[in-house]
Amino acid sequence: MPLISFVWVSTLAKRGSGISILSILCSLILSAIVFTRVWNGQPQHFQVHWFSVGSYHLTAGILLNNLSAGMILLVSGVAFIVHLYSIQYMRSDPYLRRYWRYLSLFCFSMMALVVVDNLLVLYMFWELVGFTSYLLIGFWYKRDYAVQAAKKAFIFNRIGDLGFLAGIMILLNQFGTLNITELFGDGGAISNAMIEDGVWISGTHQMPAVWLTLAGGAFFFGAIAKSAQFPLHAWLPDAMAGPTSVSSLIHAATMVAAGIFLIARIYPIFDQNILMLMVITGSITSFMAATIALVQNDLKQILAFSTISQLGFMMLAMGIGAYDAALFHLTTHAFFKCLLFLCAGAVIHQLEYFKQAAKIEFDCQDIRNMGGLKNYMPITFTAMLFASMALAGLPFTSGYLSKDSILLYSFDWASSQTGLMSLVPYLAVLTSLATTFYIARLIFKVFFGSFRQKQRIPVLEPPSIMKVSLMLLVLFCVFPMFSWNPFSVENSWILKGFSADVQVLSQSRLLHILVPLLVTFVSFALIYLASIVYSKRDGDGSVTQVARDSFIYELFYHQWFINKLYNVIFVIPLMYLSRVSSILDNKIVDGLVNGAGRSVLFLGALSTFVDRYIIDGIVNLLGSISKSIGNVTRHFQSGRVQHYMITMILLLLTFFIFKYFS
Amino acid sequence: MIPVTHFMIISAILFCIGLYAAISKRNAIMVLIGIEFMINAAILNFVAFGAYDKEVNGGQIVALFAIVLAAAGVAVALAIILNVYKYYKTIDPDKIHNLRD
Repeated sequence: MPLISFVWVSTLAKRGSGISILSILCSLILSAIVFTRVWNGQPQHFQVHWFSVGSYHLTAGILLNNLSAGMILLVSGVAFIVHLYSIQYMRSDPYLRRYWRYLSLFCFSMMALVVVDNLLVLYMFWELVGFTSYLLIGFWYKRDYAVQAAKKAFIFNRIGDLGFLAGIMILLNQFGTLNITELFGDGGAISNAMIEDGVWISGTHQMPAVWLTLAGGAFFFGAIAKSAQFPLHAWLPDAMAGPTSVSSLIHAATMVAAGIFLIARIYPIFDQNILMLMVITGSITSFMAATIALVQNDLKQILAFSTISQLGFMMLAMGIGAYDAALFHLTTHAFFKCLLFLCAGAVIHQLEYFKQAAKIEFDCQDIRNMGGLKNYMPITFTAMLFASMALAGLPFTSGYLSKDSILLYSFDWASSQTGLMSLVPYLAVLTSLATTFYIARLIFKVFFGSFRQKQRIPVLEPPSIMKVSLMLLVLFCVFPMFSWNPFSVENSWILKGFSADVQVLSQSRLLHILVPLLVTFVSFALIYLASIVYSKRDGDGSVTQVARDSFIYELFYHQWFINKLYNVIFVIPLMYLSRVSSILDNKIVDGLVNGAGRSVLFLGALSTFVDRYIIDGIVNLLGSISKSIGNVTRHFQSGRVQHYMITMILLLLTFFIFKYFS
Repeated sequence: MIPVTHFMIISAILFCIGLYAAISKRNAIMVLIGIEFMINAAILNFVAFGAYDKEVNGGQIVALFAIVLAAAGVAVALAIILNVYKYYKTIDPDKIHNLRD
């Protein structure tokens, strides 16, 4: 197993594209080896002593169990494909080396993130992932909005990191260790700790029970920032300012999954309240993002909101206790969302070429400018179609397996709930249908109908390397990769691997059959509807025209005004505050400083006066006195011998006269 | 016996003549002669007072000594004057004023 450490080293020091690809390939192979050894076997755990603070010894190490082995394979797999894709996609970029460096750094930190065994080290890599994400979003730093987006993403992530850090501190205080195995393993500290009479007891140490909830909440807060959940989701759509391949790797497949991963890793800590909060956050997020995606026009924005929505699904699944389903969905989602982004990237890339070749101006990311591309880019179209089907959860795709398992779990869960909570699965179904509709809209607008630009030259298929990477991902979007039976979630090997104790899904057999059937049926109906509405020559038919005027459209189109809300709540008061403080600064602080300056100036003038007229006067007086004395005495120095003689004789005479009279 | 007062009057007259010559003459040799006058005035005083000392005759001896010294001094002074003349082509003390400030 010393091989594993090589994974890090090789990903760390990479420069050019060749080395980069090679090392990510190495990582992929190594993680595949690791995966085959660890999967369903004994968890592997290595650690070395890192440093000590007082009596506390921090060890850093690697913890490989089903979860981290699966994740590392996922990350390296997706990263490999994206690297491959980037060769072509970023070919003409002048800052190619920087791109590869950032990308490698990201891969390194992400892989390290999933395998480390210590919360503090995890936090370190968590930060590093956020930072590389910042670098990559702002990769085209000459574009103003990219810089803004990078800043926004970074700030949002920082807010979440605060939560994570708070959680770490609470745990350290309570248990005195940050080791994940010791904390969350079987017979670990968390499972031994108990709550009695509102007191959280662990060994000899105890604190009020509310701290358990707070710790869970803090970690959850960290996770929602990273995974772009409801209150903190606003950074993800803006993050699309980065290169599309980056969006694909980071903001669709891996980094945003880190939040879900964190929750999975420390799952035992969450108590009932936090789980409920997760359900609420997840369902709100997924529903909201899906509705926003319905009306967006930017190709990448639609996909970004779709990502948020799917992450909401995972969060929802985590909240209802469907730990395994959430991770299963994470895996499948990583592949098909990556594929969607890569296809989108291919479309945008080729349209850029077309734009340059045809010398016409239009926004290459606006789906209203596309259409009929299936005739020009059949392979991209096929790949995108598969990915979309997976996203919509149509049968025979991976998305069907994972998404329906979440829906089923939520129905099971809701049957034991009362009140508003029993509405959660219906909301989820609604979201799922909305997903189907917006992705169908995307497909029809982009690939069907007729091309909306005057064309003199055809739009070309992307180059072969891109096609290869697309095809590789298509493989992962279909059912046999995950389960031999296309309709049965229970047979999925990933699901079995992730769930500690296999829960029996067949609690309500009827529901199990009914729900997918219904969802699929309605999905097809919606796709048909979408095809009528959007594949026409002028994509904005009368139906959409009516909808366009309504308030709901406005609401969705402006992303539920969340950005505006943030603007009103945080930015404007902040501006106001800064203006007030600027006035304070100008008037009072500057006034003080100026006053001090002025008094010093006055003192200076005074001392100048004293210096010039009094001290200098005395000195000058002395000088002029000695000068006049000198002027008088110099006349004695005539140089004539006889004068000297007279002087001497006169002096002698004077002496004698004095002598005589005294 | 001539009273000592007469010697002193003559001596004073001699001294004054010498002083006048030393101060006012435009010729270094005349100045030198003036100085000799003053020395001789002093010697005359020595001799005059030495008349009252018949045993030791200190005054006479000092007078002789002083005459010799004066001769030597004149020799040196004349040598200086010669050199000054060689250098400046004049022996007017008013024109030799390189020592002024």
